[in-house]
Amino acid sequence: MPTLVLEAILLLALIIITMAVIFNRDLLIVIITYCAFSFIAMFLYIVMGAPDVAFTEAVIGVISTIYFIITLKKIDRRCK
Amino acid sequence: MTGIEQFLADKGIYFLTFFLLSLGIYGIITCKNYMKKLIGMNIMQVSAIIFFLSLGQKKGATIPVLLEGLTNSDAYNNPLTHALMLTAIVVSLGTTGVGLALLTRIKEKFGSVEEEEIIRRQDKL
Amino acid sequence: MMRKVIGILLIVLGLGYVFVSFDFLPAIGDSSAPAHKHVSDYYIENALKDTNSPNLVTAVLADYRGFDTLLETTVMFSAGVCVVMILGSKSPLRKRYLVPKEILKGKPYGGIPAYKTVNKDVMTTLIEILILLYAIYVLLHGEVGPGGGFQAGALIALAYIVNVMVAPDIKPLFKFTKINAVAAAGIGVFIYAFTGLLTMFAGGAFLEYGKLPFPIPENDLHPVGIMMIETGVAIGVMATIITILIAIIERVRFDDDRN
Repeated sequence: MPTLVLEAILLLALIIITMAVIFNRDLLIVIITYCAFSFIAMFLYIVMGAPDVAFTEAVIGVISTIYFIITLKKIDRRCK
Repeated sequence: MTGIEQFLADKGIYFLTFFLLSLGIYGIITCKNYMKKLIGMNIMQVSAIIFFLSLGQKKGATIPVLLEGLTNSDAYNNPLTHALMLTAIVVSLGTTGVGLALLTRIKEKFGSVEEEEIIRRQDKL
Repeated sequence: MMRKVIGILLIVLGLGYVFVSFDFLPAIGDSSAPAHKHVSDYYIENALKDTNSPNLVTAVLADYRGFDTLLETTVMFSAGVCVVMILGSKSPLRKRYLVPKEILKGKPYGGIPAYKTVNKDVMTTLIEILILLYAIYVLLHGEVGPGGGFQAGALIALAYIVNVMVAPDIKPLFKFTKINAVAAAGIGVFIYAFTGLLTMFAGGAFLEYGKLPFPIPENDLHPVGIMMIETGVAIGVMATIITILIAIIERVRFDDDRN
């Protein structure tokens, strides 16, 4: 498959995941979906030909998700 | 196939990237919970990095690590954009950390993280 | 309701404008775009001769644009200082005893806590050592393949996070406090700036690796300088990540705490 078509498919997947993040009411689901968003963004960086950026995004996506889960223990899990 | 590829190269990928950015801005404007606003800010940062990296691509080029026989400068991706985006990703982690520290203090002082309740209690203070 | 209308209006107007009149951006993949012309050609053709490192991204980040990396490490350090200043007061949660929430009604702790079923000996001797080994490999091979200082620092911090969070009632190997971790980040920035001052004392400009005072032929001095810089960056990033973790985790109360 040519490179640009693969990039367009991954970008469409990112847009669908973003809509799942915004229109949801349970904060734990939002955080786990954000981890999936970071994972697919890492694939997009590899397809664009940037392995250094993909490596950094993989590690920092994990650390950012851990920070969000620790603060989730302090605030309510429901959201309006 | 070349029709779709030409359309994607001229305008399509920029259009999708701008759509992702505007979804991030919509999330920050609409959501009333402060933690969702922080996640929207991270989504905006990822879209800015995608836009920058797509400007540094070349057709039929390989990753920017020098190989033995290739010395043509048309065969490697642009290394300047990759270097700038590495810094941007690490700085976004620092910003998220400071934002979460502020969130913890707000919860201790006002008792909730929703925007309308904070405005109501701030008027009563 | 008003906010959603404004939001949708912004999205539609912005997308319409982009779709109609975005002609000034170049086509993706074009080799004659102005982003690929002036300075990037010089970097790709002369990097092996000037800096003796095949990875072009590390050569640009640590040699041609060394100032940007120094100030980026300073930004990470000041983010750590900000977090310590915000969450510096005494945490008010340690004095009270919280009643567990209603989902745990009946059983005192909801059964066995999840962390007691994980064997901490396996985690410590197997997984953390593999992560640390990979981190040192990535740090030392930053000039030959993809890698560098940022990734290595984040991986070492990840090993420490696993050690602290897997079994919170067993004492970890190193006990970091907030102020110790912020001081370690400052040491990382100091190592970076010290390399620049060392070249200035030996008669060159700031961060000019060809004039480091070591008895090595000049073509091999550039990788030595890059190695010292990457060590400073790795220590700085690792210490900031550990600072933010410890500053937040002191104020969070888990369901199984007994004090």
